[in-house]
Amino acid sequence: MPHPPIRGERARSSAAAIAARPVFLVLVAVSLLAGIFGGLLRVGVMLPATADSAWLGQATLAHAALMIGAFLGTVIGLERAVAVNLRAAFAAPLASGLGGLCLLLGRAEPGAWLLVAASVAFMGVNLVVVRRQWAGHTLLLLAGALAWVAGNLLFALGQGTVATLPWWFAFLIMTIAAERLEMTRLMRRRPVAPWLLSAVLGAMVLGAALSAVSERLGGLVYGASLVLLALWLVTFDIARRTVFAQGLSRYMAICLLTGYVWLAIGGAAWMATALGLPLRDVALHALGLGFIFSMIMGHGPVILPAIARIKLQFGPFFYVPLVALHLSLALRLGWGAIDAQQRATGAISNGLSIALFAATVVGAAVVWRIRSGAEGARKSS
Amino acid sequence: MKTLEDFASDGPAEAKEPYPYEGPESLRQPILDALTRVVDPEVAMSIVDVGLIYGVTVSHEKVHVLLTMTSAACPVTDVIKEEVEGELDRLAPPELLVHVELVWDPPWTIDRMSERARKFMGW
Repeated sequence: MPHPPIRGERARSSAAAIAARPVFLVLVAVSLLAGIFGGLLRVGVMLPATADSAWLGQATLAHAALMIGAFLGTVIGLERAVAVNLRAAFAAPLASGLGGLCLLLGRAEPGAWLLVAASVAFMGVNLVVVRRQWAGHTLLLLAGALAWVAGNLLFALGQGTVATLPWWFAFLIMTIAAERLEMTRLMRRRPVAPWLLSAVLGAMVLGAALSAVSERLGGLVYGASLVLLALWLVTFDIARRTVFAQGLSRYMAICLLTGYVWLAIGGAAWMATALGLPLRDVALHALGLGFIFSMIMGHGPVILPAIARIKLQFGPFFYVPLVALHLSLALRLGWGAIDAQQRATGAISNGLSIALFAATVVGAAVVWRIRSGAEGARKSS
Repeated sequence: MKTLEDFASDGPAEAKEPYPYEGPESLRQPILDALTRVVDPEVAMSIVDVGLIYGVTVSHEKVHVLLTMTSAACPVTDVIKEEVEGELDRLAPPELLVHVELVWDPPWTIDRMSERARKFMGW
């Protein structure tokens, strides 16, 4: 569908855009860091530097809202705003970032309603995408936005995590699935593949809706749909082919494929939790850290240059935080399931893996600058 | 283990022009080479192989490239566009402007992929 860009509305590298970048960077960093510290306190780890901070208690209460809504919601909102290239689209990530800040400052109600506002604005942005391109994957992005609205409304209305979390995760999962579905167009696939995906995601939505009324039935349907989604992804994703390429492409494929394994584990643990087994930490963090952070690590090197305007030099060092994440998660969710001390050690190492990834990104940006500077000097000499 | 490069020398299909080109013959191959250097890491293929280039026209004053994307929700659009501009800036004579235009019509389809790209993706 053709859509000539409307000139006056286009976001340019204006002074406003340049000024907005550090604001978003701070909002994203604050929600991520506070979310991690809050999560650590949940497994009994208190970092000395944060001991007497009032915000830490809030961060612990709002761990999921910070990680999913304020951190990832803002990053995904920025990603989509950059894609549609409309200044108004940045209202969504601004609202989710500020919502996270409110939650940290103990203003729970405005914080929650800012998240609702963010997701409604984000839904509008996705309507623009659908209007520009009517396709399976754009409709799925819109469905993901709707799931985020549902989760945020349940959160704002105080409906508890059993009802809220399936919707929040559905938002992230549908966003990822939409991107992967779009990529499968390139690969030879059975015509039934998109229909299978619709059925699996339909089951996920059903499971999320049922969770509010029956934790057991809803959890079983939801968990089963995640396992099936992992199978779909392993079967149809182009990562199966790009894993044989080199460099960044292979690294991305490995992030994806290992993430799918955690998705299956998360789904199975979600079902087990619904049946009463004490595997809630496995269900939530195989999904939130194993699956979703693998996606972040895989896509960071290509998305960051797009949204932060920073170029990165890819190198094998990117594998180090990825391996650290997977090993520390295996420690936390495996041994940690029977030993609280190992669970805490694993959780600290999860946090350190994310910090190591952030350091890797900074290092890769510095290396790119040095290299491009040297290249420029060579050419001008 | 096969990569895209292993399909490089396959058959006469590769002789097919990857996109319509209008302009001096001397720039045809250098422009194709420059565009082929722009790779989408997500799919491990160059934008020429994916079929994102709809056409190149070189006139007296500018190099005009028509570029599409597979998705309207793609955040790396501007990055790819800038890379194309960068690569062409390097080879185009200084008096030529480089103009990369993003187009969505006709929408990208799988038929636009090069023969070796299709083989790499299992077609």
